[in-house]
Amino acid sequence: MALAIHDPFDDIALSNYTTSTNNSDDHRHLAGHWNYGSPIVDWETFSGADDFHDLFDSMICIDNPPYPTEDREEEEEFKGLRLYHLLVAAADAVFGDHECPDLAHVILIRLNELVSPSHGTNLERLTANYAQAFQDLLDCAPLNKPHHHNHHLHRDHDHSPTDVLAAFQLLQDMSPYVKFGHFTANQAILEAVAEDRRVHIVDYDIMEGIQWASLMQALVSRKDSPSAPHLRITAVSRGASGRRSIATVQETGRRLVAFAASIGQPFSFHQCKLDSDESFRPSGLKLVRGEALVVNCMLHLPHFSYRTSESIASFLSGAKTLNPRIVTLVEEEIGHGPTMDGDYKVQFLDSLERYSAIYDSLEAVIPMKNRARTLVERVFLGPRISATLRRIGQRRRSSATVEENCLWGEQLEKMGLKAATISFANHCQARLLLGLFNDGYKVEELGNNKLVLGWKSKRLFSASIWVSPSSSSSSSSLSDSE
Amino acid sequence: MTIEETGPNHPSDHILDWLEDSVPFFSPFLDETNNSSSLNCYQWWGENQDTGEDLINGCLSNSPTAVSTRLPNTPTSHHLTPSDLTKKRKAPDDSVHKKSQTHQNPRKNQNQSKTGADKGSGAVEGVTVMKKSIGNKKNSSKSTGNNYNNGSNREGRWAEQLLNPCASAIVKGDATRVHHLLCVLQELASPTGDANHRLADHGLRALAHHLSSNSSFSSYSSTVAPVTFASTDPRFFQRSLIKFHEVSPWFAFPNNIANSSILHILSEEPNRPRNLHILDIGVSHGVQWPTLLEALTRRSGGPPPLIRLTVIAPTVEHDQNIETPFSIGPPGDNISSRLLSFAKSLNINLQINRLDNHSLRSLNSQVINKFPDEILIVCAQFRLHQLKHCAPDERFEFLQNLRKMEPKAVILSENNMACSCSNCGNFDTGFTRRVEYLWRFLDSTSSAFKGRESEERRVMEGEAAKALTNDGEMNEEKGKWCERIRNAGFERKIFAEDTIDTARASMRRYDNNWEMRVEEKDGCVGLWWKGQPVSFCSLWKLGIKSNAV
Repeated sequence: MALAIHDPFDDIALSNYTTSTNNSDDHRHLAGHWNYGSPIVDWETFSGADDFHDLFDSMICIDNPPYPTEDREEEEEFKGLRLYHLLVAAADAVFGDHECPDLAHVILIRLNELVSPSHGTNLERLTANYAQAFQDLLDCAPLNKPHHHNHHLHRDHDHSPTDVLAAFQLLQDMSPYVKFGHFTANQAILEAVAEDRRVHIVDYDIMEGIQWASLMQALVSRKDSPSAPHLRITAVSRGASGRRSIATVQETGRRLVAFAASIGQPFSFHQCKLDSDESFRPSGLKLVRGEALVVNCMLHLPHFSYRTSESIASFLSGAKTLNPRIVTLVEEEIGHGPTMDGDYKVQFLDSLERYSAIYDSLEAVIPMKNRARTLVERVFLGPRISATLRRIGQRRRSSATVEENCLWGEQLEKMGLKAATISFANHCQARLLLGLFNDGYKVEELGNNKLVLGWKSKRLFSASIWVSPSSSSSSSSLSDSE
Repeated sequence: MTIEETGPNHPSDHILDWLEDSVPFFSPFLDETNNSSSLNCYQWWGENQDTGEDLINGCLSNSPTAVSTRLPNTPTSHHLTPSDLTKKRKAPDDSVHKKSQTHQNPRKNQNQSKTGADKGSGAVEGVTVMKKSIGNKKNSSKSTGNNYNNGSNREGRWAEQLLNPCASAIVKGDATRVHHLLCVLQELASPTGDANHRLADHGLRALAHHLSSNSSFSSYSSTVAPVTFASTDPRFFQRSLIKFHEVSPWFAFPNNIANSSILHILSEEPNRPRNLHILDIGVSHGVQWPTLLEALTRRSGGPPPLIRLTVIAPTVEHDQNIETPFSIGPPGDNISSRLLSFAKSLNINLQINRLDNHSLRSLNSQVINKFPDEILIVCAQFRLHQLKHCAPDERFEFLQNLRKMEPKAVILSENNMACSCSNCGNFDTGFTRRVEYLWRFLDSTSSAFKGRESEERRVMEGEAAKALTNDGEMNEEKGKWCERIRNAGFERKIFAEDTIDTARASMRRYDNNWEMRVEEKDGCVGLWWKGQPVSFCSLWKLGIKSNAV
């Protein structure tokens, strides 16, 4: 049972830390991470009667832990197993065929005795965040009810703006996740609009808008064009439910306008509000003839807030009708296989692997039990985990109605969009970006229009590029105008 | 702050930077690739990183309160502290108590934050308050769920949701799942928690026992065996029994019915005084009889000239796994002398004859030394189910033998639950039924002791838990018992009105979830817990025509 969650460098002072010394160790340890090495994950495996001997052996171990207390590594490994079993049992109790809220509560009480989100190993903190996410799910979202837009009550918004800003800053520093998405999309956009004089970007979730600052920089410094093209950005923002988010979008717009002015980028900023049910109406957009239309959709990055799948689906299908020059999509890369049938167990274990990989990747850069990392985990990853569990729960309840067990990229393909090739330059850029962080990060190209960012062997996020079938070369043929 | 150490090796394009109009975004590293010109647009990344670090550090150090107040985790703050094990174990037990806490907390927290005595904790609890209020908003939907659950009376029963699937997985041979569930049980089981924790504890032990006996792995000895009757001190044993009688009708109720019935049968006799012979095949260990003796002195005709008590002691198998729960007391337990001196003080002529090492199947008039002119009453409680019921039907044979002894009456009390033997279903079916039995015992006993821990409680529960591992233990539902005893040549009698009244009166002292149900159809009296049957009492006399050969 090789379940190494332990960081062998826990006891080394931070000042001694260098990236090069512990990478190899990290590889070794992470290879035995609970998803890969543990025999327990294989849920459905039928095992012969002989296995009961082994089973029995291991039971004896549990009853009577043979680990001496001074052996921290084994102890932590043992604790990791315990946490794993409790988490899986909680998933069973919450998502399983027979809902067992009482059992779920008891498991969560036990988990909260064992772990804290701000102390302990990666696995312990991760487990604490999962426990909190399950608690949110039980408290706020009765699973047997249709989905309510009650997620604004969640702790996504519990954090002070100062915390969020600091955490975002740290996330940017500690990991390539955000930059990977932004840079890959931007590079594809730059390549697609190289000849254009007017560019219009419709952005689904603009957040703080940092992606566009870098794009503007690139546009004004284009060597082969006489002057920067006119850039227009329409931020798609939440409707009635998100007064606060609109304010944020407006603030983002003001900053972008100011920034564009400072570098001499011709620029205008617009908003397009989602309907009250967060669905997208393409008619709400102002389109101008002759503009190259770009649709940008960033999903699932650690710092992004939760969006319903219905909202995303309506945006993507609405955007498709606009016949965009290019669609850039960043999303979670969900493991594929014959088991991708909406089975909550598969999805849950996938999420465990995903987030433990993310935790490990952050630890590789800031190895200690660090307040900074705890802040990122609390502000971003905790809510992301909550959102993931909520999504699993909803898929479970509405398995037939929402067809979203596959990637959004696949949805785009079903809508009729064509895959556009990722340029060599774009691929190189991603590799170089990752090289700045830690060689645990991997980038691979899938289906030639998609770059996948992973940690060790776990694929985490993908950036993919899509074009309308009719207008891959010509500019937008839409006749709508202001 | 530790950020400085990590910074220099890494790019830092800080949002704060670009907001302030300094635009470090991408490092010039791309120049090395000699790639397309479009890549050069990211050149400006990598400048000004020192500024960024300062900003971060400033950000964190300027808001130490914000960070520190958030750090304590809300779940731990509104659940129970890890160190307080007993508290935690009890928490899910008493939902009413929990609810009242829930309601009090927000107010308490508000007060705290108002006074501002402790701003840090106030902030944390502020989050808690919000969570609570969210929970309250959902009360309506939650309560509908509860109503639904009440139908099957499964609410709050989580231990069986682990135990039963584990038994199923064992039958399916799914070792992975078995292991997983055992691990979870291991985490949640506790010998001292609420009824669920206890059930998990006993169930885990039983499953482990089953696994060890199924494989050749026989050296299983790692869990501490629960306290049972046999392992107690005789005096403490009797004290436990008496205490349990006081707080739970589990045994007191059948005893009460039996004693009242005996009194009633005597009262129906003609005036000529006859000796009374009671055949005690039960689990009361003599605790039942003082009340009968005392009642006999108070009846109009006085006590019978001689009372003979023949106690059929269970055969000691020296194997706990085939002992019927509650049947075997500690070695050295001999209540006879105390009963005799008690009878003497009441001027009752009592003889006690204890038959050891006589199996139930070997009983006949000679063995019990029946006299011709005495009133023989058989009092069988919770013991007959240890007899096999199929191929051969030992229960029927025994009842036929009983018929031949020509007792005046037979009072049969048994667990009213489906059979758990291997002939009536798979291991998992039987296990589920045993778990059900034990749940009712643990749940009702938890109420009986008002959730308090005590040695007496541990002994009774440990003894009851034998039902989970006991290979011979198998209950049977009331209907089948009645059919069998009728076929053996007995005739049903309805309990006398005063018997019913006395029993009903005796129920007042126990928990409200207990219930006595008189079945009009078959004349049995049932004992129910939370709307579920626990045991039944039935009264039989010789049939006019014996069906038995």
